[in-house]
Amino acid sequence: MRSKAVPFDATSSAPRGAMPRAAYVHVPFCRRRCGYCAFTVLAAHDAWIPRYLAAVERELADLGAPREVDTLYFGGGTPSHLPRDAMRRLAEATTDRFPLAENGEWTVEANPADVTRDWCRTVRERGVTRISLGVQSFSPRKLRVLERDHDARRIDESLRLLFDAGLDVAIDLIFGVPGESVEEWDGDLRRAVAASPHHLSTYGLTFERGARFWGRRARGDITPESEDSEAELFERAIDVLTSAGFEHYEVSNFARPGHRCIHNETYWLGRSYHGVGPGAAAYVDGRRMMNHQGVLAYIRRVERGESPVVDWEMLDAESRARERLVFGLRRLEGVARGAFQTRTGHSIDDLAGSAVERFVSLGLLEDDGSIVRLTRRGLMVSDAMWPDLLRPEVAAPREPARSNRAENAP
Amino acid sequence: MPDFDCSRIRNFCIIAHIDHGKSTLADRLLELTGTVTRREMRDQLLDDMELERERGITIKARAVAMYYEHEGTRYELNLIDTPGHVDFQYEVSRSLLCCEGALLLVDAFQGVEAQTVANAYLAMEHELHIIPVINKIDLKHARIEEVLEEMHQSLGIDPDDVVKVSAKTGLGVPDLLRAVIDRVPSPKGDPTGPLQAMVFDSHYDDYRGAITYVRVMNGRIEPGQKIRFLKGGTNHEVLELGQFRPRPVRCDSLGTGEVGYLVCNIKSLDLVHIGDTVSTAHHPAQPLPGYRVPKRMVYCGLYPADGQDFDELREELTKLSINDPSFEFVPETSEALGFGFRCGFLGLLHMEIIQQRLEQEADLDLVQTAPNVTYEITTKNGEVLEIHRPQEVPDTGSIDEFRQPIVRVNIIVPTESIGPVMTLCQDRRGEPKGNEYLSPSRAMVTYELPLAEVIYDLHDKLKSITRGYGTMDYELIGYAPADLVRLDILVNGKRVDALSFICHRGDSDRRGRQVVKKLKSEIDRHMFEVAVQAAIGSRVIARETVPAMRKNVTAKCYGGDITRKRKLWAKQREGKKRMKSVGNVDIPQKAFLAVLDTGEKK
Ligand SMILES: Nc1nc2c(ncn2[C@@H]2O[C@H](COP(=O)(O)OP(=O)(O)OP(=O)(O)O)[C@@H](O)[C@H]2O)c(=O)[nH]1
Ligand code: SF4
Ligand SMILES: [Mg+2]
Repeated sequence: MRSKAVPFDATSSAPRGAMPRAAYVHVPFCRRRCGYCAFTVLAAHDAWIPRYLAAVERELADLGAPREVDTLYFGGGTPSHLPRDAMRRLAEATTDRFPLAENGEWTVEANPADVTRDWCRTVRERGVTRISLGVQSFSPRKLRVLERDHDARRIDESLRLLFDAGLDVAIDLIFGVPGESVEEWDGDLRRAVAASPHHLSTYGLTFERGARFWGRRARGDITPESEDSEAELFERAIDVLTSAGFEHYEVSNFARPGHRCIHNETYWLGRSYHGVGPGAAAYVDGRRMMNHQGVLAYIRRVERGESPVVDWEMLDAESRARERLVFGLRRLEGVARGAFQTRTGHSIDDLAGSAVERFVSLGLLEDDGSIVRLTRRGLMVSDAMWPDLLRPEVAAPREPARSNRAENAP
Repeated sequence: MPDFDCSRIRNFCIIAHIDHGKSTLADRLLELTGTVTRREMRDQLLDDMELERERGITIKARAVAMYYEHEGTRYELNLIDTPGHVDFQYEVSRSLLCCEGALLLVDAFQGVEAQTVANAYLAMEHELHIIPVINKIDLKHARIEEVLEEMHQSLGIDPDDVVKVSAKTGLGVPDLLRAVIDRVPSPKGDPTGPLQAMVFDSHYDDYRGAITYVRVMNGRIEPGQKIRFLKGGTNHEVLELGQFRPRPVRCDSLGTGEVGYLVCNIKSLDLVHIGDTVSTAHHPAQPLPGYRVPKRMVYCGLYPADGQDFDELREELTKLSINDPSFEFVPETSEALGFGFRCGFLGLLHMEIIQQRLEQEADLDLVQTAPNVTYEITTKNGEVLEIHRPQEVPDTGSIDEFRQPIVRVNIIVPTESIGPVMTLCQDRRGEPKGNEYLSPSRAMVTYELPLAEVIYDLHDKLKSITRGYGTMDYELIGYAPADLVRLDILVNGKRVDALSFICHRGDSDRRGRQVVKKLKSEIDRHMFEVAVQAAIGSRVIARETVPAMRKNVTAKCYGGDITRKRKLWAKQREGKKRMKSVGNVDIPQKAFLAVLDTGEKK
């Protein structure tokens, strides 16, 4: 549903005028496509890199005068797959338009197979501060099932290089890979903790349309783990990581104190951000926008001087507040009533008072009167709560049309 | 077209067991008489309803007028193609009243089947001249001699009278046409007498109102004439007359013996009654005998998925009932489902067809409850109750006698399946009433059985035992006392009225277990545990638990995911609205049919 352009309303909570302090750049190239991947990527199409770079440079230039940002994020795809010169060029074009503030955070996603001493030096020189390493698993079996192109030895080596280069390190782990036992997952968690990264994200394997796994599942060639065993693995991760000193601060994210991903917090706190590249999303002046997902379509549009934005919507103040509530609750510290009202102009109780009450009574939310937050059980089933928070509540069950309605009509 | 001299009119229908080739034979006749050109031809041309084409069966009887020159004389042939399935026998009965003759088709491989016998008897009762036909003689496995014997044995048909054709290749069809002209009597009626025309069908056209299908028995009709529907007692002016050829084609008059349609400006749906008589408004004649509306065999509740559609559903049911008077409906309410209708049907296929027509033709989203038969109860204080739905069953303590409908079932099977079929009927509490060999390889087994058993799974079971070769036909013969109970279903302790059902006490444990198991698989996990129980009165006989949801959480929520997820979650809220909720438990629409589950994979 796309709304029409509406005049900006004065009660809105959107940071109007306040220019985004975050920018995301999408790098859509990978060496080959992993079986579970449904992202906007071009696998084995490196010939397109020059045209892609030119398009990004043009999109950046069209955004107007340079403005400082606090966070930059190069995601993919596999940004580390870019050859050294291309990486330099992209970094330069980005910081030309979005100079990074002092002590800013600049994350680049990397594949362990790409991380070399030389690569570390290249990104460090440009100002990159943080690497998000797509480890996924240390188990050779899991890596094989996931069709990743690195092995566990590569992971250890890349971690050492990154630490040596003085970069903050975040790693990703996937659980719930078909056939995965608690022991196998424990092994991953143990090695991840031992590697001592600054940040860790963990995701249950999902089956998405567009991924090879989707078709394989439909053919019965691959069977997802049961809901119960996925739940067990996820809870296991939370227990192991928190007791190892990580702070569980968002559904899937864990950080050493002081090492949260500031860029990602931008999304969850409803703050604005720029987005550049195919499929990139942006949130500027209360308007949510999405660039064309197709890499080639994106390039052609930009080359023709057209806007790459294909989808956008302007949310009204209430929808914005509801969205803020939902994504805010996904942060484990919860949503504070007072701050929420100040920022959005809406009170939690007016928006969703009875739903919150119901979820508290079911043990899914905790409410001390000033802060509402997820319980462990609530976290596990939180998707089932969001529909009720995103829609206004129906006051009372609706009386069906009576059979004698026609006769009663005036 | 002027009205035709009666002596040159032949009115006949094609009757047979399902799939024996009636509609295909109609294709050949349309072709041979030049009614439809080869170019316009397609297989089973008269089956033009979407559902008929989808399922490859005839659901509605269709009348067509054809003209044919035979030995220098031009004849008007009015053909009615009828459905073969037992649930649509009412269509056959109505068609028979418009005809003097019937082509009784028998498949050269399948031989005599249950509906062959049933329809042949119907035609005999109506004193129609029967032309027996063996169809599909082109089949490699045609067993013509044996089928002739079966026809002789079961229906007393003289093998010399049988015409052999292939409706597919057209072989023998010209001979059959000659037999129609030679053997089917011409209509007897008084062309100069007062108008009497039988309303044998109708349908509702959104622009022109009710279109009424008639067979003129006496007198004639012209446009402009003032007519009266004798039963409805309303007068109308005839705006248009026509024949189906097979598309509606206007004509100047319909004379005695002819079949066609008439259009008046009738916009009110309840003025046209099938079986009514049309006469002149000034000097109305006596009404014709009309039709006996058949007894509804099964009832179910139909509810709009969205309560807002209640009025629309009523409107659509009314329209459909003009086209098919054999189903009935009355408003009812359910705590779980809200406002809807209790509908009565001739059988399960009939029920399925009506429901599909509502969903396809009227684009309504429906919740259907499990079908049940009509029971009778005599209470302790002597009151007799007719029970159309399980909720109406009073407390066990106040029931003196609980009675259920019994049907006589004729089953025609290959002789090697007689044993298993008898065991099946015995298991279903049937009483044997006779066996009869039709030929060395086929026999007819007759049983009296509770209708509820027939509806529940007898047909499916019969088909699987006989590898598809067994066929059955049944008719209601009366009510008999039985040890019946009402089973209630409770979801988290709350009774769901629309899920209650009636069954034999001896089956209650097994049925209760099956139903709660089925419901467990239909109900999604909730944020809390959901208990599903089956109970007789306050005694719980089966229980299953839908465990609470354990994990339902989106892992990745960055950049573009925010919008995608927000939209997805907001949509789920809409989806929930479509479910029916009892307490806090959402029950999906199709779960209301869980009672039908026999616990076996089909
Ligand atoms: N080989 C062969 N097949 C035939 C012949 N006549 C009909 N069929 C086939 O038999 C099947 C059923 O034919 P229909 O004409 O639809 O049968 P029906 O009696 O009208 O069926 P209902 O109206 O549903 O009772 C179709 O697949 C036809 O192609 C025939 O003479 N020979
Ligand atoms: S999962 Fe990551 S590395 Fe694999 S194809 Fe997708 S974007 Fe590329
Ligand atoms: Mg047919």
